[in-house]
Amino acid sequence: MPKPTPSQTVGPFFARELLWKDGGGVLFPGRGDRITLTGRVFDGNGAPIYDALFETWQADAVGKFPSGDDGSRPYGYGRVSTDSDGRYAVETVMPGSFTGPGGERYAPQISVAIFARGLLKGLRTRVFLAPLELIKDDPLARAIGDPDRLRTLIAARDAGDPKIYRWDVRLRGAGEAVFIEF
Amino acid sequence: MDVHPPYLYPDYKSTRLRAPSEPLVRVAPSPLEATGPVFPKHFVKDSEADLTTWGRSAPLGEKMVLVGRLLDEDGRPVRRSLIEVWQANASGKYPHPVDDHEAPLDPNFLGKGQVLTDDEGRYRIVTVKPGAYPWQNHAFGWRPAHIHFSLFGNAYAQRLITQMFFPGDPLLAIDPIFQSVPEAGRRLLIADLDLEQGVEGVALGYRWDMVVRGPRATPMGV
Repeated sequence: MPKPTPSQTVGPFFARELLWKDGGGVLFPGRGDRITLTGRVFDGNGAPIYDALFETWQADAVGKFPSGDDGSRPYGYGRVSTDSDGRYAVETVMPGSFTGPGGERYAPQISVAIFARGLLKGLRTRVFLAPLELIKDDPLARAIGDPDRLRTLIAARDAGDPKIYRWDVRLRGAGEAVFIEF
Repeated sequence: MDVHPPYLYPDYKSTRLRAPSEPLVRVAPSPLEATGPVFPKHFVKDSEADLTTWGRSAPLGEKMVLVGRLLDEDGRPVRRSLIEVWQANASGKYPHPVDDHEAPLDPNFLGKGQVLTDDEGRYRIVTVKPGAYPWQNHAFGWRPAHIHFSLFGNAYAQRLITQMFFPGDPLLAIDPIFQSVPEAGRRLLIADLDLEQGVEGVALGYRWDMVVRGPRATPMGV
């Protein structure tokens, strides 16, 4: 069996190469409630990370996995970079929940990958778009267990605008987000 | 054995504040992550696989052809999968606002390309060999010549970003990014010279195969 190719950092010079003009507007063939997932990415000192690539992959509004494209870009996939304040924003549809092969129930979530200078491997995780009490049976929530750690993966609905979900990501140190490996 | 680098590799200074300190949580890819973005065939133009035809005339530097295959860990070809590449020009300069290296830009070289693998997982790109360049990580630090690769595989769990290096480069020994890879994995990041893949009298040939994890591989020990 061939060995996997080792990962290396995306480095600081990716922006023009990997960014798309509309990468922050996620496309779907069907309808759904449009929402915006936004927040900031911080390092171990709490300083904003201004040179990260932030990617999303998710189910559609009824929990179906996207396959196909609108003729120009794939459905279901978002790609943006963070700005000088470490901020990202992805405008998409509220994903539906879905079921795994063993009947396990996945809560509404978005799979996230973060790449940056200083990250020798991309960071992988899942952000939940439902409150703690509604995600307890999710496979990742069960694997994490500790509710304080799990809260690092829950996006908070904005009090003033219910279409906005806020999720800050601390890569290291106090409040460090849970990251996953497969 | 894991061929991937650790997150924290103190000789590469930027890892010190960005590497997670908590252990990662190991889970099976979700059924969502066993699928991935599907790029339409016309998303990639044939011309985007040749980085030397972007300008009005040929870019400076040593012209090269790079061929290879994209496979998964079971040795199966990964078909119709997007490969994105970017690189410095022959002088070791990126046309990027944060690149402050005092080397010339090349008006005929953007250093960006993409290609879809064919039904056997093969790809071919034409470019110029990128130059080495200094960086601030440590005194007299220079990055060895490298080409950045962004891979999707056929499942989001296979997503991989990496760098390809050139055989015989003495800078590999002092590059903490390359050296962060466990010794058994380093060879996998170096292309082979393959002259017959080049163009006689015009371009050097290199070969580099890439391997992404299986789309549904279960976690170790689960």
